[in-house]
Amino acid sequence: MMSLASYLIISLVLFIVGLTVMIARKNIVAILLGIELVLNAAALNFVAYSKYVTNNLDGHVFSLFIIVIAAAEAAVGLAIVIRFFQIKETIHIDEATQLRN
Amino acid sequence: MEYTVWNIAPIFLAPVLAFVINAFFGRKLPRNGDWLSTLSIFISFIFSARIFGDFVFGKFATDYFIHKTFTWFDLSYGANIWKVDMGIFIDNMTAIMLLMVSGVAFLIHLFSTWYMDHDEKHGRFFTFLPLFTSAMLGMVLSDNLFSLFIFWEIMGFCSYSLIGIYVKKEKAGDASLKAFMTTRVGDVFLLLGIVAIWMALGSVTYVDIYAAIAEGKFAGQSVIGISLATFAALCIFLGAMGKSAQFPLHVWLPDAMMGPTPGSALIHAATMVTAGVWISLRMYPLMVLGDITWFIAVIGAITAFGAATIAMVQTDIKAVLAYSTLSQLGYMMIGVGVGSYNAAFMHVITHAVFKACLFLSAGSVIHSVHEQEMPKLGGLRKYLPYTHFAMMCCTLAIAGIPFFSGFVSKDRILGDALFYGFMSGQNPLLAIVPILGFAGAGLTAFYMFRMMFLTFYGENKQHHDDHGHGHGHGDHAHGHDIHHEHLDARQNVPLLILAVFTLGFWFAGNLTGQDGIAVFGKKNEWFKILVEAPKVEKFVNSPRQPWSSVDSKPEAHLEHAHYHHQTGYAGPNPDEHKLHSAHVIGAILSIIIAFSGVLIAFLMYIKKSIKPLASKFPGFTTTLQNKYYFDNFYIDVLIKKGLLAFNRGLAWFDMGIYDRFAVDGWAWVNRQLYRASKWFDNVVVDAIGVDGTGVAVNLFNLVLRIVQSGKIQFYFIMLVMVLASYIWTLKV
Repeated sequence: MMSLASYLIISLVLFIVGLTVMIARKNIVAILLGIELVLNAAALNFVAYSKYVTNNLDGHVFSLFIIVIAAAEAAVGLAIVIRFFQIKETIHIDEATQLRN
Repeated sequence: MEYTVWNIAPIFLAPVLAFVINAFFGRKLPRNGDWLSTLSIFISFIFSARIFGDFVFGKFATDYFIHKTFTWFDLSYGANIWKVDMGIFIDNMTAIMLLMVSGVAFLIHLFSTWYMDHDEKHGRFFTFLPLFTSAMLGMVLSDNLFSLFIFWEIMGFCSYSLIGIYVKKEKAGDASLKAFMTTRVGDVFLLLGIVAIWMALGSVTYVDIYAAIAEGKFAGQSVIGISLATFAALCIFLGAMGKSAQFPLHVWLPDAMMGPTPGSALIHAATMVTAGVWISLRMYPLMVLGDITWFIAVIGAITAFGAATIAMVQTDIKAVLAYSTLSQLGYMMIGVGVGSYNAAFMHVITHAVFKACLFLSAGSVIHSVHEQEMPKLGGLRKYLPYTHFAMMCCTLAIAGIPFFSGFVSKDRILGDALFYGFMSGQNPLLAIVPILGFAGAGLTAFYMFRMMFLTFYGENKQHHDDHGHGHGHGDHAHGHDIHHEHLDARQNVPLLILAVFTLGFWFAGNLTGQDGIAVFGKKNEWFKILVEAPKVEKFVNSPRQPWSSVDSKPEAHLEHAHYHHQTGYAGPNPDEHKLHSAHVIGAILSIIIAFSGVLIAFLMYIKKSIKPLASKFPGFTTTLQNKYYFDNFYIDVLIKKGLLAFNRGLAWFDMGIYDRFAVDGWAWVNRQLYRASKWFDNVVVDAIGVDGTGVAVNLFNLVLRIVQSGKIQFYFIMLVMVLASYIWTLKV
């Protein structure tokens, strides 16, 4: 029996996995992947609430927006990563400390 | 010609002009401008003589007076009248006084041009001499006490300058300071008296004061518990005592001889000392109202007698004359006190003439012989015949020998004093006034003739010193002038003119001066008719002419009107018969006394048949030589014990209390305040405020530095923790 709780559990698992990846992995590309996971967890939440609580298509529309944003974010993020690699010859996240200055 | 300001004001403005020119340009003028000073006084004399002529020969215009005023400054607001008038007041007394002052001063100036020739202080002397005279003339012309006080103080300053003119002589400087300070004591009181009158009446003009007395405005007013009239009269008389050198403020006058002799002549005769008598006469109605005439009489008697006793033992020719001035001023004050108004004023005039002549004669002697100690003089009659003649006339006058002016004036005073002391029903103790007066008259005759005999008779000691022993060259130079009489007109003419006016008939129609023994008829008693105590009723609502007004000449309608009830005596209880007998007794008594004084002097110093009394009473002589120890008393007791002790007390207060507690204490308070403020600054402001802010910022910075690691994953963790805490708070 598929209920709202099972969707939320999956969404929670996805979110935690994504967050863990963002915090724990040192590879920038992996972090970007983690971000995608977090975004997907959010999108899944929207859709689940839309199906079980409001019963309309608002959540789906939001999900589509999130996918678009995620695509744009991935494009920008990968561009930054490539530029970062050209400068630092590495994609290790601990080398990216320019925000401190 | 009528009287306007332009023919009155030059009397005192001409000498002022001479003073200004000599003060600034005197050195550039030939003879240091002494001719200019003399000329300016002559101009005063001409204008004064015109006034005198109109008032005196203008047919005895007794009631006429000229009173011109202008408002000096006006600070009135609303109903408060606060204005000061200045003005000129001329009546018979003023006219006579003006002629006397300017005439005597002119002769003194003329004499001084000879006396001060080649003197190093010639220019300075002729700068102050006209200022001195102009101050006196201005004082005589004043119509109010305020301008009188101004001229009074100018005279004080001029006497200071003239006495101390030889600035390098220490004694001269001391004497000038003494004169200045002693008269200042009196001046303080005079100012107090003027202020008292001002407070009561809002005016110090003579006319207003007379009118106020007539209207009884002084009644019921009082100051510090005594009646206002008494207070004001006493203060004004104390001022007069300072200026006229009355006991006990007499100490300055004998020392005033430190100046050049003609300067002494001016101080002793025409100006300065007569100012005190002048103000006493002008304020006579106030003195009567204040009931202090007995005090004036007693002070005058003490001065007259005390100074005469001191004069007996003086050896300096000028000191004898100085003490004789004191004594004669005492007689004037007796005259004021006993109500002998017109005789007191006449004595001012006669004394001015013969005392000026005496001092100029003494100057003539000193300048010729260069010696003023009488024991070293003698036999000068042959060498200075004109001086001898003039001085003998004056000595006869001052001694009260009949037919001379001193007899006329002094014996009227003594006659009135006799009446006052014995016959008018006064307090019997006041009999001391005529007793001291007559005794002083005898002493006057004695010491004046002693001076004459020692100076002009006997053998010439200077002469012998020169030729007998042949001392050093210095001794020759010392007495070289003695061999010939100076025939300089500037020396002898003033002496002879003054000597002529020592004759009695100039002042009184009858030669003896007594009413009962008239010789030339009563009409010639011009002095008695013209001078009388101010009749205060006359001045009620008296009109004032504005400053620019023109006065006509005195009218002539009063020719004989006033003589019948005019006795010259203004005192209490005028009993004609008793007064007359007092005058006859007084005249006889004083002739006897004067001649016996002369006789004793003759026997002592010419015949040498009586030994001078000095050897018999050495103790008393020493007392006299020390001037009754008055100077010692003032210096040792009043100044050293009193004033200096008081000053030490003040100094102790200043150093011990004020300096120590107030000044040093304030410094201590400030030091403590400074310490507290330093602590506040260092600890509160600097350590806590300034450094504390720094430390706080530093600490905050430390935290921020840790947080701001730049590690993106750390930021994620922070983000998550913030989110988590946010959710946590929501849940709670």
